[in-house]
Amino acid sequence: MPGKQENWRFSPIRSNTSANNSEKGVSRLVMSIGLSSVVMQLVLVREFLAQFQGNEFTISLIFFSWLILGGMGAWLALLAIRRRPASLSLLTRYSLLLAALAVIEVLSIRTLRDIIFLHGADVGFYPTMAAIFGLTAPFGLLNGFLVPYSLYVLRNQNPDYPGARIYMLDNVGDICGGMLFSFVLVLWLTPLQSIFVANLPLLVAATLIVAGRQQVRPAFLLSLAGAMGVLLIGLLLENKSLTPFEGRLIHYEESRYGRITVHQDRELLTIFVDGSPIFSNQNISQDEEAIHFPLSQIGDPHDILLIGAEGGMLQEVAKYRPARVDYLEIDRKLTDVQLRYKLLQPLPELHIIHRDGRAFLAGTDRRYDAIIINLPEPDTFQINRFFTGEFFRLAREHLRPDGVFSFRVAGFDNYLSDPARLKISSLFNTARLHFSHVLSLPGNKITFLCSDRPLNADIAALLKSKGIHTTYISSFFSGNITPERLKYLQDNLLADTPVNLDTSPFLLRIMFQQWFARFATSPLPFTVAGFILLLLYLCRSRREELVLFSTGFVIMGSETLVIFVYQILFGYVYEQIGLLVTVFLTGLLPGAWLGERLRRRRNFKKSLALCDTLIIMTLAMLLLALVTAHDRLQPGFFLLFGFAISLLCGCQFPLALTLGGGDNPAAARIFSSDLIGAACGTLITSLLFIPFLGIFWATAGLMLIKIFGMSALACGVRSKK
Amino acid sequence: MKPIDRRTFLCLSAAMLAQSGAAHAGLWPFQNDRHELSGEEDIRGTIFKNDAPKTLWKWHKEGFSYQKLEDRKVMCNICPNRCLLEPGDRSICRSKVNMDGTLYSLAYGNPCAVHLDPVEKKPLYHFKPQTTAFSIAATGCNFRCLNCQNWEISQAKPHEVRHEEMFPAEVVRKAREAGAASIAYTYSEATTYFEYMIDTARLARQAGINNLWISNGFINKEPLLELCKVINAANVNLKSFDDAIYRKLNGGRLQPVLNTFKTMNEQGVHFEMTTLVVPGYIDNEEMIKEMCGWIVTNLGPDHPLHFLRFFPNYKLTRLPPTPASTLDNFRKLAMAEGIRYVYLGNLPDHPGSNTYCHHCGQLLIERRGYRMPVNNLEGSLCKFCRTTIPGVWQ
Repeated sequence: MPGKQENWRFSPIRSNTSANNSEKGVSRLVMSIGLSSVVMQLVLVREFLAQFQGNEFTISLIFFSWLILGGMGAWLALLAIRRRPASLSLLTRYSLLLAALAVIEVLSIRTLRDIIFLHGADVGFYPTMAAIFGLTAPFGLLNGFLVPYSLYVLRNQNPDYPGARIYMLDNVGDICGGMLFSFVLVLWLTPLQSIFVANLPLLVAATLIVAGRQQVRPAFLLSLAGAMGVLLIGLLLENKSLTPFEGRLIHYEESRYGRITVHQDRELLTIFVDGSPIFSNQNISQDEEAIHFPLSQIGDPHDILLIGAEGGMLQEVAKYRPARVDYLEIDRKLTDVQLRYKLLQPLPELHIIHRDGRAFLAGTDRRYDAIIINLPEPDTFQINRFFTGEFFRLAREHLRPDGVFSFRVAGFDNYLSDPARLKISSLFNTARLHFSHVLSLPGNKITFLCSDRPLNADIAALLKSKGIHTTYISSFFSGNITPERLKYLQDNLLADTPVNLDTSPFLLRIMFQQWFARFATSPLPFTVAGFILLLLYLCRSRREELVLFSTGFVIMGSETLVIFVYQILFGYVYEQIGLLVTVFLTGLLPGAWLGERLRRRRNFKKSLALCDTLIIMTLAMLLLALVTAHDRLQPGFFLLFGFAISLLCGCQFPLALTLGGGDNPAAARIFSSDLIGAACGTLITSLLFIPFLGIFWATAGLMLIKIFGMSALACGVRSKK
Repeated sequence: MKPIDRRTFLCLSAAMLAQSGAAHAGLWPFQNDRHELSGEEDIRGTIFKNDAPKTLWKWHKEGFSYQKLEDRKVMCNICPNRCLLEPGDRSICRSKVNMDGTLYSLAYGNPCAVHLDPVEKKPLYHFKPQTTAFSIAATGCNFRCLNCQNWEISQAKPHEVRHEEMFPAEVVRKAREAGAASIAYTYSEATTYFEYMIDTARLARQAGINNLWISNGFINKEPLLELCKVINAANVNLKSFDDAIYRKLNGGRLQPVLNTFKTMNEQGVHFEMTTLVVPGYIDNEEMIKEMCGWIVTNLGPDHPLHFLRFFPNYKLTRLPPTPASTLDNFRKLAMAEGIRYVYLGNLPDHPGSNTYCHHCGQLLIERRGYRMPVNNLEGSLCKFCRTTIPGVWQ
């Protein structure tokens, strides 16, 4: 029915009123797409972290895939309109498909994870990458497709419609989506409920566009009903899709920090956080080792601080009759679940404090006889903060003179592999910088005891002298922690291994190495292939694309960097991190508005160069501030920096678009280069710059990237043909 | 808006109802006990093509049992993998290479782990209790267990790890110096360094030191018969009683392991069996009953069986530990099937680690970890009813 189809396209012969209504409708739709996509992105992060290893690689791969797919989607939009003009009817139907895909993808991730990969087993780097990319692809591609496609629809009606306006509308949706998810949805709703809520505006916006037409075709109604049906089915399948193979799911909730599930298998209760078993009610060996190794060293421990703990540990602590036990757990919901299922036995002297451990210590004058860290492996930026020299110094400042600080990391059974050896050596050397005595005790988990008083490795004897009864230590210690094994560990410590610092997280490098070793893979093929592809892309790019590539790189790179530094300085404070992310999004909007105004002037190329210069100067200021006033920087500084850098980056989009000619192909290229730059910025900053160069050189690296973009502009790399 | 007609309305309604119904009717494809749907069917290892070093290093020995074939190919006969290697290839276990038509072991005299352990740690509960075992391992394994505790050495090639130099005579000397009653070939898979093990074991036997083989039991009959001549005791894993699980979780096969048990039983070697109870995979009562029935029928009731509690390890880190009551239940099941000595491991201070006389039911040995506060054995006899308790007690 070509005639009917024509009715669904914008046509220059339409009346102005109708065209304005349609423009408003598409604008609403673009904002709704932005909102839906950001919520989906954040939901996907949770889903993938819950299904795959939650280390920095996985986190970076999710953002990388999302952004790359967005870039590819933008290209697909250009290819699509070369075959067939953009149409409003397709736009609305694709938008409905996007809403349905959100649910389908979440359910696919949950289902396919345990069909493609073995249930209960970890997945290596390459399969994880393939799974993340493949499962994100349908939504990511369509999402990247829809924003430029909306522009092409609008340009069918008004060929001069500015591309930057679509960018701004999408940005408004992104900001709303980010705030909605971070401050509302994550607190009250499950992922599929969040998707339902976040996609309602999209369904309404699509319906309003169609309702403004003269007739509503059944095909649209079917699509609408289908999308709504899928969203509703998602709500019904939330819990079912999380049911484990073994045992049964007796509790499920989402907290700000991750997914909490409780599985019951006969009498055993296990709390899983993001898919990994964290606490169970039958883990006596771990409980005893974590508590008695440090406390047995102290004459009479009165005040004890636990950063992370499970139920049995408190029972062991109680054997020392302490006056006060502070238990720090950032996630209130997690302790609520622990208490509810009796995985935490409350003591009269117990104080549960829901704060970031680092922020708490930085803000208290309290002194402890023992500070005991019981956290997962330091394979993320967030956890690594508790294993650095700066944190060890902070802990020491809060210990009484004879106090003991202890922490544990994965150890070995019979052989200390090279990466593990480096990890242990780095931690030992770091601890030795701040404590006169450091004792490392071998085992499946290696316990580090740090103090300014001499330490005794014969824990069983110490406990016996104190009259403290234990089940595991008294029976197994002599066979597991033998003098020969103590010597083996001591002999394998390398004195020249670098220490782990906030500003240069050496340990993360080792954790990456260990992860790859576990799966007998190497990141080299990925690095080489990625580098070649990037080089090819950059060689084929025009100057405006190179500028936007560097802009995307810098904004995501500096966001990653600033969040990393912020957590080091002020702890992981959910609302503040959320605010920081929002500021990075918010600055783009006035930036794009400013850029739109600047592009109307003749010297927009100079404006673009000026923006580049200002971005480099802003990064230089950050570097200077980090070097000179690292510890004294205030939260406001980072918010200001985030706003400034995103404003300048946002300003570049309209200018680069104009430099590229402003037509549809230029818009697709610019959208793509921004997203591809952002993807590379996330990946390279997280996995290369920060762990391998440290924060100062990482900042310098971002400056170099921008200088590269600016040089492309100055050197006049081939422009629009 | 144009009103929709009745047909469209009915279609829409039907679609909505079908979708909701499907969700409620439990058509969600992901239900309990579906591990057979999950992941790769078979994770068995493959030969490493052209992976042999250019030249042999100091720590090598010609293969104990292999066939020379045409075109300088060789076939290793140590384990049922029977790796067929062209010149320059490396075996599945990573320890053997074909160097110009001759099979060599690269794991000879180069242990990467050397420790002195209580014999109870192996676990061996019926073999010279309260003695120590000088425990050594070179790299390599013919399995690919996803929960391997020693993956850093079992899944490594000899030149990828740090090692000591300790040829057989030196091992025996050091074991004696350490006051060990036995030498245990353990941690990784001892079968993969068979040449090193058997040469050391022969010397140890001459020196009056016992030999303990701690293994997955994946070995061919001919080398096993040779081994049985020199070993005094063994602990062999019976990882499950389902070939599909063997292939999926361990990268091995069940039948060759069962054959190993039969051979050792025929040869009169003292051995104990270990099963790690992995939740969701090896916690099926019917399978355990069938397994115990097979043991009693084919091996008799006297070989101790250890059920070990699983904890997340290596690649299998997203499973909960085994509930204590599952292990308890399995112990009861195994004893009901007729196995006389069934123990529970990785459960501190559990009565399931004690020895009770199979005849009078009295407590013979109370175990607290590696300690033995109560011992009511007189030689190998129950103090109470004078029944002979199977094992090597003196």
